[in-house]
Amino acid sequence: MAHGPRRSAACGILLDRGTNPCPLHRQADSQPLRHQGSPCFTIFLNIFTVGLRPVVSTEAPPIIFATPTKLSSNSTAYDYAGKNKVPELQKFFQKSDGVPIHLKRGLPDQMLYRTTMALTVGGTIYCLIALYMASQPRNK
Amino acid sequence: MTHQTHSYHMVNPSPWPLTGALSAFLMTSGLIMWFHFNSMILLTLSFLTNTLTMYQWWRDIIRESTFQGHHTPTVQKGLRYGMVLFILSEVLFFTGFFWAFYHSSLAPTPELGGSWPPTGIHPLNPLELPLLNTSVLLASGVSITWAHHSLMEGDRKHVLQALLITIMLGLYFTLLQVSEYYEAPFTISDGIYGSTFFVTTGFHGLHVIIGSTFLIICFMRQMMFHFTSGHHFGFEAAAWYWHFVDVVWLFLYVSIYWWGS
Repeated sequence: MAHGPRRSAACGILLDRGTNPCPLHRQADSQPLRHQGSPCFTIFLNIFTVGLRPVVSTEAPPIIFATPTKLSSNSTAYDYAGKNKVPELQKFFQKSDGVPIHLKRGLPDQMLYRTTMALTVGGTIYCLIALYMASQPRNK
Repeated sequence: MTHQTHSYHMVNPSPWPLTGALSAFLMTSGLIMWFHFNSMILLTLSFLTNTLTMYQWWRDIIRESTFQGHHTPTVQKGLRYGMVLFILSEVLFFTGFFWAFYHSSLAPTPELGGSWPPTGIHPLNPLELPLLNTSVLLASGVSITWAHHSLMEGDRKHVLQALLITIMLGLYFTLLQVSEYYEAPFTISDGIYGSTFFVTTGFHGLHVIIGSTFLIICFMRQMMFHFTSGHHFGFEAAAWYWHFVDVVWLFLYVSIYWWGS
């Protein structure tokens, strides 16, 4: 559902309703894969990707991921460093386990949160001490 | 099981506003420690905690939107208003520096030799590197528009290609500016000319780096299939910011490089 160019000055800044009617961000309208090769672009991609798997089938996968299981085991699609993991991530993050979003991934989230909090709070205490010392008048 | 009967997003309690605020406190105090007591510990710590906060806050927003689906059209509208207002605040930020430039250059004082550029200042030739920089940023505006149209048409390969070109042009601009700074015959301490030149172009350069970073994030998200042809506000926000950076440069070029030489 593309929003094309508009005449008004607010040209596409504020959407009118209807571009994404579904509250869940489905991959229903994600891009189909194209297979026209471009050597220049391939070289660029290699910088970022581990490796490109060659095309075996020229068939584009279905746009609407009604059956995600069909895609997850499909190794014949033209891959840019891996398949689309969004559907499985959607399922993972939508588990109702009561865990807040910033800790939902478990251990790595917890470690990063604790590190950030420790550095920030510790730094604030150090800062207050440093400011207190700096505010003491220096004797000649 | 309770369900909300409105289309707004009630976020989970989050620690990032607190860590962000504390990191800002560390940054300001760190600047004081650096200026007056020659210590960079606090400042370095503040950059680290600030980066950690930004990474985790925006990671959470991606989780809430792409993975949990909380960004309804209503929520997206709020985000659009937010980004517009933020960019407007940045416009006002730059307005201040342009005001300072015009204040000093429209009526140059006798101390400057009564002329602009001031006596003794040899400004950069606007038809050399600055003109190349202008063409680089204008071209990047074209390539990002190409990327957006490709995205709306579902053309994955060309989105990646066009975004990559835009990022490369942004990095090229930054490198060119760095070399220009190195080669310039005047410094920031060369009177009001040096001050207005380097502070305004310096902040602009910082915004180019921020914009390039935003575009790199968009590139990575596009690689990971986050954007769809109908819903890609993160990309649109990056594109608006990039166009803003381009427009500021055009004002800079015309005012400081061209008229001011």
